[in-house]
Amino acid sequence: MVRSYAVKGKKRKKREEVYDREEEQEEQVAEQPVQDAKRDVIEKTSNSAEEAEEGKEKEVVNELQGIPITPSHQNADKAGVIFILEKASLEVAKVGKSYQLLNSDDHSNFLRKNNRNPADYRPDIVHQALLMILDSRINKSGRLRAVYVRTEKGVLIEVKPYVRIPRTFKRFAGIMLQLLQKLSITAVGKREKLLRVIKNPVTQYLPINSRRIGLSHSSDKLVNINQYVASAVSDADIVFVVGAMAHGKIDKEYANDFISISGFPLSAAYCIAMITTALEAKYNIL
Amino acid sequence: MAKLSNPTGAGPNDIKKNKKKRKKSGPNVVAMKVQAPKANPFETIWSRRKFDILGKKRKGEERRVGLARSLAVEKRKKTLLKEYEQSGKASVFLDKRIGENNDTLAEFDKAILRSQRERQLKLNKKSKYNLSDGEEEDFEIQGLGAFSERDDFEDELLPDDDDYDGESTKKESAMLNQLNAHKTQNPLERHLIEGGENKHKSKKEVMEEIISKSKFFKAQKAREKEDNEHLMDELDKNFTSLVQSEALLSLTEPGKLNALKALVNKSVLNEKKKKDEPSTTQKTENFSQDQPDSYDKLVKEMALEMRARPSDRTKTPEEIAQEERERLERLEDERQKRMLAPDYSSDEDNDDALKPSTQGQRSISGDDLGDSFSLEEEPRSKKGWVDEILERRDGNDSESETSDSSGDSETAEDDSDEEGSDEDNEEGENNLSLKDWEQSDDDTLVKDLEDGEEEGEEYDDDGQQMEPKPQKKKEKTIAFAASKRNGDILDAKKSKTDGKHSSTPDIPYLIEAPKSFEELSALLGNRSNNDITLILNRIRTSNAIKLAAENRKKMQVFYGILLQYFAILANKKPLNFELLNLLVKPLMEMSVEIPYFAAICARQRILRVRMQLCEIIKDPEISSWPSSKTLFLLRLWSMIFPCSDFRHVVMTPAILLMCEYLMRCPIVLGRDIAMGSFLCSMLLSVTRQSQKFCPEAITFLRTLLMAAANTKPVQCQDSQFYYRLEFKALRPLLCIRDREIEISPLNFIMLMDMPEDSPFFTSDTFRAGVLVTVIETLRGYVNVYEGLSSFPEIFLPISVLLLEVAQQENMPYVLQNKFKDVAQLIQTKAEEHYLLRRPLQMRKQKPVPIKLLNPKFEENFVKGRDYDPDRERAEQRKLKKLLNREAKGAARELRKDNSFLYEVKEKDKTLLEEERAEKYGKALAFLQEQEHAFKSGQLGKGKKRMR
Repeated sequence: MVRSYAVKGKKRKKREEVYDREEEQEEQVAEQPVQDAKRDVIEKTSNSAEEAEEGKEKEVVNELQGIPITPSHQNADKAGVIFILEKASLEVAKVGKSYQLLNSDDHSNFLRKNNRNPADYRPDIVHQALLMILDSRINKSGRLRAVYVRTEKGVLIEVKPYVRIPRTFKRFAGIMLQLLQKLSITAVGKREKLLRVIKNPVTQYLPINSRRIGLSHSSDKLVNINQYVASAVSDADIVFVVGAMAHGKIDKEYANDFISISGFPLSAAYCIAMITTALEAKYNIL
Repeated sequence: MAKLSNPTGAGPNDIKKNKKKRKKSGPNVVAMKVQAPKANPFETIWSRRKFDILGKKRKGEERRVGLARSLAVEKRKKTLLKEYEQSGKASVFLDKRIGENNDTLAEFDKAILRSQRERQLKLNKKSKYNLSDGEEEDFEIQGLGAFSERDDFEDELLPDDDDYDGESTKKESAMLNQLNAHKTQNPLERHLIEGGENKHKSKKEVMEEIISKSKFFKAQKAREKEDNEHLMDELDKNFTSLVQSEALLSLTEPGKLNALKALVNKSVLNEKKKKDEPSTTQKTENFSQDQPDSYDKLVKEMALEMRARPSDRTKTPEEIAQEERERLERLEDERQKRMLAPDYSSDEDNDDALKPSTQGQRSISGDDLGDSFSLEEEPRSKKGWVDEILERRDGNDSESETSDSSGDSETAEDDSDEEGSDEDNEEGENNLSLKDWEQSDDDTLVKDLEDGEEEGEEYDDDGQQMEPKPQKKKEKTIAFAASKRNGDILDAKKSKTDGKHSSTPDIPYLIEAPKSFEELSALLGNRSNNDITLILNRIRTSNAIKLAAENRKKMQVFYGILLQYFAILANKKPLNFELLNLLVKPLMEMSVEIPYFAAICARQRILRVRMQLCEIIKDPEISSWPSSKTLFLLRLWSMIFPCSDFRHVVMTPAILLMCEYLMRCPIVLGRDIAMGSFLCSMLLSVTRQSQKFCPEAITFLRTLLMAAANTKPVQCQDSQFYYRLEFKALRPLLCIRDREIEISPLNFIMLMDMPEDSPFFTSDTFRAGVLVTVIETLRGYVNVYEGLSSFPEIFLPISVLLLEVAQQENMPYVLQNKFKDVAQLIQTKAEEHYLLRRPLQMRKQKPVPIKLLNPKFEENFVKGRDYDPDRERAEQRKLKKLLNREAKGAARELRKDNSFLYEVKEKDKTLLEEERAEKYGKALAFLQEQEHAFKSGQLGKGKKRMR
């Protein structure tokens, strides 16, 4: 029934160590044979990134002789971007006999019965926002460090930038449901955790010298996002805090700056799209 | 939401914490426990939820952790503590008072039980003869209740009444189950008593009821029977009306209908009978019970009758072939009959006449002359006539004919032998006349093939070839004459019967596939083209591969022979082009049927031709250009095999061979030019679809154009032409000297037939014709190769050359225009290509997006379910989990027990300690007092004083 904490802690620690070692060994093994064509660059730790680059160049050389290639740049060590989606409405409830992720379409009656406002339950906003972030060129180029989602209830979820979020809402709801119950989602065929519930507060995961920018329509500071982003320090990580809720605004506790990027109230997804385009322009990602 | 708090899980932790506290302040806790029934603040602790989950029932949440704990302690006190206390004692005090061990019983209930027991004891054996008070007499089954309440120490007697024996075992178990049973039995007793009363009352009633019921049922049965009869009558009536109403007639067969009618008649009779003697319904019933046999049969038949008849299934190709063969066989039989007819023609005529006469009579008009000359009979009579003539001419010949034509399976072997001998001889003659290297080559070729292909076939063939040879020698002279005669006959036939109408009947309908070239040439020799196609068709249908497995081999042999025939035909000087064309169709169809063999044949031939080319090219005297046979074969293969394949077993070597001819053969004569341009156009047709690039053809065309140019070509950059030394000799070949010539397309067949040194080849007409073909071929190439990215590089020099040639003064206008047209075409297309060309640039590396990973999740996730696809493993894990849980639970319980016992022991110890300390203190105090008194010297007095 109840595990003794001491035993569990020990076990976990050991496992983690083993896990890391295994991964490293795997990487080394993979490095040694003839360079594999398909490699994920992002997963590399900083020390193995160089090796990967070398491998990449070699492989290209093998591929086509005579024609020089333009050097590819890896963005692993450059300034990155972190997104935090605040007040996401991801809530699990027991509807009928099964647990379901509450959304306004399917559970409006259920929510009304429980004296909730169905309009507040909008997991589709999180879905769209996540898709927008993960589909952006910023992410494809490897500049995205992480995405954190904090639900209305205060559950903090870490989303790895290389996760492929389901495109359909139903599947997204499924994955979120599982995540909120199991607390982590692994990759297919790997033990790596792509999504997981982590401890609050979110600030402990943010880089030290990062610039935290909160976005809110209610803010008095109306800026042009392109200029604003361009003027930001280029070597520091930028953290954007965007609200993923239908109504209301985000807390401004940990944001250094609180800006509004349009006179109109924007949807979370479009707001993110604006930010990512501005960032892409800044980092010159085509 | 985060992990839900497990209310049960939270308990032990609390206990643990409590334990720690307790250790620090044991006595307090003990004191607290004593107070437990009063307000224990710990018992007010409720388990709390961590998260609010909408829609989740709050079932286990009102559990009070503290209360559960104190309850557990209470329980231990009752059980474990008792045991512990007992453990130190030698004797045991057992409380066997009735109901004392049962907590559920109240004091009053216990008293009741005890009084009951007392009364039962009175009724025991000992008290059996005691006089009762009388009121207890009617309490019949009191033993039942009494027995269950018997305790262990009263087991000395069992009731000897037989009534209870059966139930005694039950009673015993009930005894173990204890006193509760008594309660349950009480109502039972009551019920039994009531039941007895019921019985007493109903015995008469029940009988009455039964009687009345049986009466009622009888009446009902009678009524039903009547109804049934009514219904049956009605049905019968309906049925008869139905049968007579013709409606059924359309549905059933007439034979059955008759039966039906008969049946109906019977039933009608029955009815009549019934009407006659309506009183004897029983009889009719019996009768109808017997009767239904026929009716039932009919009904069953109708049910089993097929609703829809299956139509003939679609025939498989094998069956169709079989039918075709049968038809041919039938025709063949008829033909043979006709051939043999003269002997008993009268009979046959009579036989035949019977049928047509009936048919024919109605068409005969009054104007009829009476000679019964009808169209139907015309061919027969004619045939007969021809046959007659033939027979009259040569008896021997007719014999051979019959043998030739009778391709029946029975006589096939003999016939084929005869045929073989005949044809071998003929072939011998042919051989003499042909005297060609190809002939021998082809023979060996066939052998080679068969070596490679099938041993059985080879064996056959060898046998055949071995066999005829001695015969050949023997019968040479005879056969020679015979063949001559044969030819005569055929000539005669031709002269007498014009058209195929008359000649077709000679061809047997069933022809065994020839096994050697001689047979074939005998079969086809001196036949008209139409006949040959007919013969080939018949051979193919009568030996269709689908008919029999061995036919495949036959057809393969036949294919090889036919190909050989084709090749020889193509090499004959007066070219029988029509026949060649006709041969193409069967050859193509056959190679579809035996593609593998056809491909091997073609490959072998190509190999041979190539070897010959290599041999011949060493000798500059002999023209190394391909013979017409090779050309025709190449054309045939290009039609048979797919040209557009990237790599094809036949077409690839064939194309290579053509290119090699174009590249290696020196152009010496005008005929070579014609040959080369023909090859070029053939290559064009072959490569049109696949757009394969043949540089040889382009180069050849260019060479020809250069030959047409009058001016000395500037030694251009094309080093590729230097090696073609024959170029200089070629120079005057295509220079047109006369401007005014009519330009007509060349007939290649005609050219092939011409002798090599014909003056035509040096005429301007020929040159103009060649140039026209060259320019048209070039246009074709331009159109085909326009997709090549190197198009300008390939064709631009040619366009320059074209313009140059067009500028010549003697060039006819038509040709000039054509040249210019093509040059223009080339240039526009080259322009397009230039437009599309892009400058060379650095290869751009596409940015590599990060590799995405798919998350693993379940569609309908349910918490706690194992999503392992391996069922067994999941099950095992589940069991392991259960085991773990149980083990943990047990360990926990033991731990708690231990701690409880430890506490108890501790308490005892502390009590002892306290007692001891008290005693010690008392003793010490006494001693101290004494000491004090002693020291102060007031031993006696002091005491007194103190008091």
